[in-house]
Order: sequence, then structure tokens, then C-alpha cells
Amino acid sequence: MLIASDLAVSAALANGAVPVIQDLNFSLAPGRVLGLVGESGAGKSMIGRAVAQLLPSGFSVTRGELLFDGQDLVRMPLDKRRELLGREIAFVPQEPLSGLNPVLTVGRQIDEHLARLAVGDARTRRARALVMLDAVHLPRGAELLGKYPHQLSGGMCQRVLIAMAFASRPKLLVADEPTTALDVTIQARIVQLIAEMQRHDGTSVIFITHDLRLAAQICDDILVLYAGRPAERGPARRVFSQPAHPYTRCLQLSNPAMSGPRRGLYALPERMPGLSALKTIQGCLFAPRCPSAVGACARALPPFTEVDDGHIAACIRITATAEISVPAPAAANAPKTGTPLLAVEGLSKTFRTARGFFRHDVVAAVRGVSFTLHENEFVGIVGESGSGKSTLARMLCGLDAPSQGTIVIAGRDVSDGSSRSNAHRRAHVQMVFQDPQSALNPRRRVASIVTQALEATGKVDWEERLARAKALLSEIGMPPEAAQRFPAQLSGGQRQRVNIARALCVAPNILVADEIVSGLDVSVQAQLLDLLMWLRRARAFSMLFISHDLSVVRYLCDRVLVMYRGEVVESGPTIQVFATPRHPYTRALLAAMPPDDLSAAWPPQSLEIEAAPLAGKAVEADA
Amino acid sequence: MTRAPPAWLRSARVISGLTIVLLIVLCAALAPLIAPHDPNEQNLVATFLPPAWAKGGDPAFPFGTDSLGRDVLSRLIFGARVAMLVAVLASLGAMLIGAVLAYVAGYFGGRIDALIGRAVDVWMSFPPVILSLILMVGLGVGLRNVILAIILVDWTRFCRVLRGEVLVVARKDYVAAARLLGFSHWRAITREIVPASLPLLITLVSLEMGIDVIVEAILSFVGLSVSAETPAWGQMIADARQYIYDSPWNLIFPILAIFFAVFGFNMLGDGLRRTLDVRLTATQRV
Amino acid sequence: MIATVFPLVGRRLLASVLILLIVSALLFFVLHVLPVDPAAMSLPPSATIAEIEAMRREMGLDLPLPRQYLIWLSQVLQGDFGSSIHFRRDVLGLVGSALPATIELALLSMIVATVLGIFGGLMLFHVRGSRMEPIVDFGSILLLSIPEFLWSLFFILIFGVALQWLPFTGRLDPDLRLPQGTGFLLVDALVAGRFDIFWSAMRHMVLPCFALGIAFSPTIMRVLRSSLLDVYQEDYIHLARLRGLSEWRILRRHALKNAILPTLSLMGVQFGFLFGGTLLVEVIFSYPGLGNLMVDAVRNADLPIIQAVGLAYCAVVLVINTVVDSLYLVLNPKLRIR
Repeated sequence: MLIASDLAVSAALANGAVPVIQDLNFSLAPGRVLGLVGESGAGKSMIGRAVAQLLPSGFSVTRGELLFDGQDLVRMPLDKRRELLGREIAFVPQEPLSGLNPVLTVGRQIDEHLARLAVGDARTRRARALVMLDAVHLPRGAELLGKYPHQLSGGMCQRVLIAMAFASRPKLLVADEPTTALDVTIQARIVQLIAEMQRHDGTSVIFITHDLRLAAQICDDILVLYAGRPAERGPARRVFSQPAHPYTRCLQLSNPAMSGPRRGLYALPERMPGLSALKTIQGCLFAPRCPSAVGACARALPPFTEVDDGHIAACIRITATAEISVPAPAAANAPKTGTPLLAVEGLSKTFRTARGFFRHDVVAAVRGVSFTLHENEFVGIVGESGSGKSTLARMLCGLDAPSQGTIVIAGRDVSDGSSRSNAHRRAHVQMVFQDPQSALNPRRRVASIVTQALEATGKVDWEERLARAKALLSEIGMPPEAAQRFPAQLSGGQRQRVNIARALCVAPNILVADEIVSGLDVSVQAQLLDLLMWLRRARAFSMLFISHDLSVVRYLCDRVLVMYRGEVVESGPTIQVFATPRHPYTRALLAAMPPDDLSAAWPPQSLEIEAAPLAGKAVEADA
Repeated sequence: MTRAPPAWLRSARVISGLTIVLLIVLCAALAPLIAPHDPNEQNLVATFLPPAWAKGGDPAFPFGTDSLGRDVLSRLIFGARVAMLVAVLASLGAMLIGAVLAYVAGYFGGRIDALIGRAVDVWMSFPPVILSLILMVGLGVGLRNVILAIILVDWTRFCRVLRGEVLVVARKDYVAAARLLGFSHWRAITREIVPASLPLLITLVSLEMGIDVIVEAILSFVGLSVSAETPAWGQMIADARQYIYDSPWNLIFPILAIFFAVFGFNMLGDGLRRTLDVRLTATQRV
Repeated sequence: MIATVFPLVGRRLLASVLILLIVSALLFFVLHVLPVDPAAMSLPPSATIAEIEAMRREMGLDLPLPRQYLIWLSQVLQGDFGSSIHFRRDVLGLVGSALPATIELALLSMIVATVLGIFGGLMLFHVRGSRMEPIVDFGSILLLSIPEFLWSLFFILIFGVALQWLPFTGRLDPDLRLPQGTGFLLVDALVAGRFDIFWSAMRHMVLPCFALGIAFSPTIMRVLRSSLLDVYQEDYIHLARLRGLSEWRILRRHALKNAILPTLSLMGVQFGFLFGGTLLVEVIFSYPGLGNLMVDAVRNADLPIIQAVGLAYCAVVLVINTVVDSLYLVLNPKLRIR
């Protein structure tokens, strides 16, 4: 169906062409699913774009061919390729909400596509559209056709896009991280849907993802990419259970386990070489970070070695791979019992949204949340988007005023919002923000950012701040030279470290961390989780760790609160909640995570609860 | 060690814009030294002389003379004084008012934002030319009042555009982080928000200067700017228009002067916008 | 669609009325701190001080300003704008005859500006990344630097004086008489079946309309270009390509429909400015509209006219804004449907 032979893509940089993809070989048989797995920058999306020959400007295929049904997509004239796109070859994008044109109704967009496929007259097309929506399990199709994309949820948009992709019963589907932007429960359903449609139409699928576990569950074959070059390729189950390439093994070990005892994480040092660094590496691209690298690795690109039938790896020390392991995590300081450091009682937050002149809606984002946090305790808050967990974090830090309830920090009720309360709160609670892009002022140097708390007093001179900044940087594992850099000069992981350091500067007892590892590659995530564990031992503080990623919470936290539609529906010791969930929502969340165990059927046929569409329930009220 | 000039000084647009602007500023500053004649000196035997290079031109009057025999070149050079003075002072004044209100509105939001927003709405319902005319009627003629009128009209341009930018920056987590670390509102605005909006502000001032040159010319064209003794480009156009058949040259020179001044400021503004990486969203570009 | 748009537009209109009230108060107060005395001006120079005082009382000028404003407002609401001090005529009649001329001029200019702006914007977008780009871009800055009154003078010099192709004073050839009717000359001429008048009026409108239209088109061009550039970064454009749609269809059906939204909201502001720009163009072309009336009134310190004309300008700008906003609502489902 699709055969890539010796494909290479290059980017034209100022200092010459750099290979973005090289030595790419695979063949995808009809009806099979190939997973392209790798971290960001590995070049996996570039392969998807190469299929359509819609590469970013400056990028071009320099070698090899990409045969679709025996025809080379690379050298095919534009008109002919355009004939194939949308008919024989279809795509499902990463961001479903921006994948639909915001000013056209869903109906008109589907109709446009069907008209291009020459599906009869307007009435036939409408009937066909309804059938399509039904096939992707979207209820009330007729009503849906008249809606605009912004009226739909991300999951619904993705279903519409999947319906359109399968409208022509394509031979090939390229799905580029189709579930990354969605909540876990929806992710499971979308994956299920793609699998269902694929089986029905016998479509071949290229499934691009960063999640090795997910790929192992749903793909027939997996191709692991590192810095644009295949590291390993083989049957999904074999690659997952017996990885031959050290990179695959490290990827697997850097992901926290979802079952069994808590094991340590493998934190790969540094990061994947960027485009400009690629030219300077002589031998194996992974060698600089590889735990089993020897001198010979740095001298020449490793050839592809067949490990088993159809299972190959680009490594000269395949036998050493199985020996890579991680030590068990060091024991953390146990949480203290007694008077809690933080006690939240009946906390609620309602937002008013205007609706016309005299009416407004009252939306309850957080409803009657109570919990405690003890000294030295890490508590995780999990929930999907709209569950109110970020609002809760903002209230604890004083960025939003609670509508009801009390917050007692170190014995003092701070919910009155007076300036003395706020000063008390500031001394005890600090927040680490989710998106370092937004949380770090791009015009400040790192030293200035991490010591901003000293600037607030206005009495500390620059020398002293610089010294303090360097001490903080060494604590979070960054070189002192970094003090003079700007955030734009740092990598994503480094930025998040600076973000943490800034909050630590005032030595708070409580750290509130809102999704601080989401959106990062697993290897960087593992580094950060390691850092947090280390800081926990060295600094002895408490943390509220907010995340949608259950595996991370399982790894890091002593206790967990599960939030659903603004309420805490379940709480308890992490291990216990994960092993024997009681609330149906917790069960649904856990079931939606791809398990480590490949023998279980995943995704489960029925997920008990469809995820919360909105924060709370909208209540209409008069002003 | 020599440091490379900053990016904004390496842009061809900025350099050419700056050159034009500096040239005109220099003319304005040194007007008494470089002008060949007194701009108000009448020479009734030599009216409507064409430029020196045309037939019948007099090398003593390089750009010819007007209806009263005054030297056009000298009047242009002196006219630059009014134009530049108004451009600089009015744009800075408008920026000051507009920026302060924009920071207050964008940072605090809520009612104060709504109030300032309504004020801008009221102002925007007046076409700027009409509002400045009415203000000039109320204030009376004179250089000081021209500047005041333009400030009172054009602060909205700054306020409108900047408010949007401040709104974006104020929602950034680093501003929230600064507050959590104990920054006062004043410190948060001056240390976190103002630096982020400075490139936009500089760009807007540069574009506003061009607009001010035009507005001053319009006001002096209808006789509502500086008094008649002070040469101004708009006045020269108004005079020349009455004798359009006798001497089209008289009309062309002040037109070109205004054009070059505005072009200079626009080039400078556009160059700064590109090099300082100001992302003006669509509606801000007016 | 109408059901959802209507209340939103209604709210806009209500806000406009409020703004107009505030504007009228502001106008009144600004103009009443004037150094000139309307009472003295409305009497012959030989009038005695006692006579002037009597006149002041009669005109209500001795009352406190807010009282004066309320009296003036109640008269205005009854359609009485007072009478011109200089022309000694009813202000409403003067403004009423000048307003259609200005609206006609402004409307035609807006059409010119829109057509030039959209074509220019598409051209600017089309040459993106090519060697032509810096040249075309430079040209657009050049255009941006020529305000409407410089264009007017250029056109008069070239097409009026040098080439003598087109007339450049007034609204009509002197030997033709204005037809009775709405005051919109082109409409009246067509209704009366007088194609000679229509033709003459058109010829008189060409230069002022193009002067205004060209002056206001470059901002539209540049905004359309940058909105198109923004829209082409969006996923749905990329996805439309992946669905095999042709570039032309993507531009027409997907990109333009989105890029026109920011362009439209800019045009609302621009057209407000354009309407103000008619003032100077009218003066230069001796076009008998609001602008000339205003400038005459300003020179004569004719307060009732200045007030009425100022209000007329604001009212029209508010109407323009409301129309553009309604159009925006119709085209942008995100604002229309929550």
C-alpha cells in the first residue's frame, strides 16, 4: 500500500542542508496500522507531511521514494497528487478544534467534501452526511449539520473530521497525534473509533504518536524515530515487550508505570539534538545520551541489524539493551501527621457569564471542596479539562477569590483576602505555572526571574541576587552560566526548572504545581519528576500536584483527589485509589489509560462516563 | 570590542525613514541659518516666480516666489518648524494620556476598563478632523492650542491599540507570578507590563507623528492653526490654491514637503514595527 | 439568523443613542466656553450694550450652562436646531440640504476604497515571498503617506489644470439646475430621467471620490494581506489542502471568509475617518456639503451650525459603525451564536 524506500528529507539552513529524515524504510500492507513513535523533533510529523508533499518551506525530499499503490508520491505531478488527497489518502489532524473552518457550518464543510467526491445532488449528500455522522457515533446528526465548530467539543470536532476522512473509504489514513489535545476518556473513544472505521473499510493507517504505550496497544507495527532516523522497527508487541534499541528501552522506562510497585524512572540526560546540532554528530545520533554507548558508537552511523523476523534496530550493542534498568526510587520523607499545614473547607467558586443585558449564567467551577495537606505531603489532584482543578489552584494562591468556604494556611484563615492575609499566604504558598512560555517574562534574564521575590522587597542589590540565583540554579540542576540567559535561550525542560526555582526562592512550605509536566516529552518529564523527588528530600515541603496524567500522579503523590465537574468525587492514598477505585468516574479515568499489560483488551468496550463537557452545570439566573 | 548595532538600526526602512526625519528636523532647527530669505519678506515686483531651473526663474529664489513675492524655499524651511514641533509634542502628549489610560484599563479591567472604553467610544464617534476643528474653535488659534487639540483628539489611538496589548500581557502567567511574589500593582505594571509594550508604543509614536503633520497641515489649510505670520505648509497650500492656474509650482512644493515628512515617519514606523517584532493585530493598524 | 442578529444590533443602536447624547453634551460645553458672544454677533454692530444684554437674556445665555443645555436639547429633540447667526436661516434646513451631498460623496468613496483595498490586499498577498514583495510593500507605504487632501490637490493639478479632463469645482455644471427630491443628486437625476445631470454629477464626483478612496485604501490592503497571512497559518487551511482542494477554492471559500472579518472591523473605523476626510476634500473641490458648511460656520463662529453639523457627523459615523458591526455579526458565527 505505502512503501518508503531510503527516504530522506532535508532542511535548508543558513549553513547548508541538514537531514531531517534519513534512511527511512518501511512498507505498510493494506489494512495494517503502523505507529510512528518519537519525541518532539524526531521528525514523525514530517513523514506525514511528506506523504502529502506539503512540507514547510525550505524542506524537501532529497532522496528515495514514497510509493503509494506503486506510484511515487514525491515525483508525482501536483494535479495527480491532489486527485489522491481526500479520496485515496486521508488525514486526521492533531488539533481538532482548529481543523474545522470556524465560519462555516459543519454541514457545509462536509457537503463541500462530498461534492468534491462527486456524491450526487444536494439531497443525496445530506443523507450521506447523516449516515457518516451516525457511523462515528455522533447523535442528533441533523441538528449537528447546522452547527458551527465553536459549538462543538474537541472530541466532537475530531469525530466530524474522522467522518470526513473516511467518507471516501480511503486506502491510507494518516493520523497525526489525533488524541493528544483531548482528555483521556475521549482519547480512548477516538482511538476506538479510528480502529473501528479502519477495520470496516480495510484502511491502512499511519498513526503518529509520542506515546509508546498507546502505540503498542493499537498498532500492528511500530517504527521508533530518533532525530529523524529510525531507531527500531518491528511488530508492536515485540518492540514494546522486548525493545532492541536502547532509546526505545529508555523511553519505556521514563514513563511511570500504571500498575505494580512504584519503580524509578529512567531520566535520559540532556535532550535530542536540534537541527543545527545534527551536523556535528559523527556516529550514532543517540550515542551522546545512550547508557550503553561505547567508543565505537560515536564513530559511524550504526547499520540496521535484524533482531528477529521483521524486527530491526539501528544499534551495534543490541544485546546490552535488556540490561538497562533503573534503581528503585529512594524513600521519600514520610508526611507528618497532626495539624495539617493547609486545610480547605467547603471551597466553592462560581463565575458569572453575561448573557444579554439583564441576564447572566452562573457557572460553578468548584463546588464544596474540602481537603487537608500535611507537612511533607504530596497530594495529587486529577481530573479532566473543566473539572475545576486549575480554579482550585488559583484560589489557593489568591489569584481568584473564593465564593464560599475557608482556606486555613499554617493556622491562619486567609480567605478574607486582606493584605495581611495575602502576605501570610505569600510566605507559605507559591505556585508553579503550567506554561513556562507564559510564566517567564521573555525580557528578563534567568537570574532576574528566579530572584524576583527579592526584587519585590526593593532592598536587595544585584550582586546579592546574582549569588542567590546561582545557588538556586545549582539546586535545580542547571549550570551557573544559565543565570545570564533569557528564557528563549533555554529548552522546554530548563524553562520549567527556572519556573520551579522562582517559586522556591521564598522557601515556601507549600508548592502548588498546575500541570507542570504536561506537554513535555517523556524523557524531559522524567528529569523533572526526578528533580521534584530530590527537592522533596532536600527541602522538605508539601505539594499540591495538579495533573491530568494519572501515571505521573501515581509516581509522585502520597494521596490523590479525583475531581469531576467541580467536586472531589474520590480521595485517598494513591496506591489504594488506583488499585481499587470506588467512584465510577475514577474507574472510567483509569480504564481510559492504556495499560502496561498488552494482554488485556484496550480500549475497553464501554467507558462508563463520557467526560465532563463544561465546568459544572450552567444555571440560568436573573440578575 | 565593537558591538554590532541593534537590529532596528540595521533595517533599511528605519535608516531611510530616520534620515528623512532627521533632515527635516535639522531644517527646522537651523531654519534662520539656512533659509536664504526672511520667510515673510514681500517682493511685490517678483511675484509668482517659477523655480530657478524653469524658464524665467531667478537663482536667488530656488523654488520661486508666491503671490506676495515671498521666497517659497525659505517658507518651506520655516514651515518645517511648526510641523516638527507639532509632530513631536502632540504625539508625545497623546501617547502619555493614551498610554496611562490604556495601562490602567488593561491591567485592572472591570469597571474602570469599561469606563475608559466608553470614553474611547464617544471620542471615536467623532471623525478626528471634525473634533480637532471644533476644539480649535473652542480653544482659539495658536501653536499651543493646535498641539493641545491634537492631543485631546488622538489619545484614543494610543489607548485603543495599547489596551488590547496590555490585556494580552496582563493575562500572562508571569504577571500573576510577580503578584504572588509580592509585587505591588505599580511595580507589576512598570516592571512587567510596560517593558513588554514598549516596542508597540515606540512604533505608534512614530506613526502618530506622521498623522500629526497631516492634521496640522489640514488645520492651517482652513486657517485654524498658527497665526498668519508664522509660515506653515498648510497655509502655503491654501494660498497657492487660489492661484492654481498662475503658478502650480507654489502648490507642488508644500505638497511634496508634507508628503516627505509623512513618508519618513511611516517608513520609520514600519521599519520599527518589523524589527522590534511588534505584532499589530488587524484592527490596531489604523 | 435574523432572530439572533436583531437583538444584538438593537443593543448597538441603543448604545449609539447614548453616545450621541453624551457627544451632544460635550459639544455644547466645549462650544460654550468660547470667547465669542453669540448675542453680540446676532445683532448689528451698532447695537448698544443694553440691547446686547436684552438679547443675551432672550437667548437664555444668562442661565447656568446645564440649564442652557437642557433647553437646547429639548429644542433639538423637537427638531429645532435654532437658526444660523451668519446665514440667518434655519439650521435644520441648511444641514438637511448639505448632508445628502456629503453622504453621497462618502458612499461612493467607500466603494472606491473597498474595491481598491480588496484588490490591492489580494495582490499584496499574492506576491508574498516573491521578489516583487519588497517593491509592492514599499509602494503601499508610499500610498499610506499621501493623505486625501494631497491626492485632491494632485488630481486637480493633473486632471483639472494640466489635462483639463474633468471638472473640479462644485457638484454640477453651472448651466444645469439641481433637480428637486431627496438631495442625493445621482438618485434624483435617475428618478427624473435626466441622464445629462447624472453624467455631469458623476464627472464632478470622480476626482473627489478617487482622492478619498485611494487615500483610505492602503490600510485596507495591508490589513487584508496580514489577515490572509494569519489565516493561512491555520490548521483548517492545511487540512483543506490535505483534502485535495484547489488553492483557488481554498482562498475563495475558506481563507477570504475568515480574513474578511478583521478587515471588516478595521473598515468600520476607517470609514468613520473617511467620513471626516470628506470635510477637506469638499473644501478643496468647493463641493456644497457638510464640510464647506462647517468651515464657513467655523470662520464666522456660527455656533448653532457648528453644533448641528458636529452632531450630524457623529450620527453618520455611529450609523456607519452600526452597519459594519451588524455585517460583522452576520459574517462571524462566533459572536452570533454562543
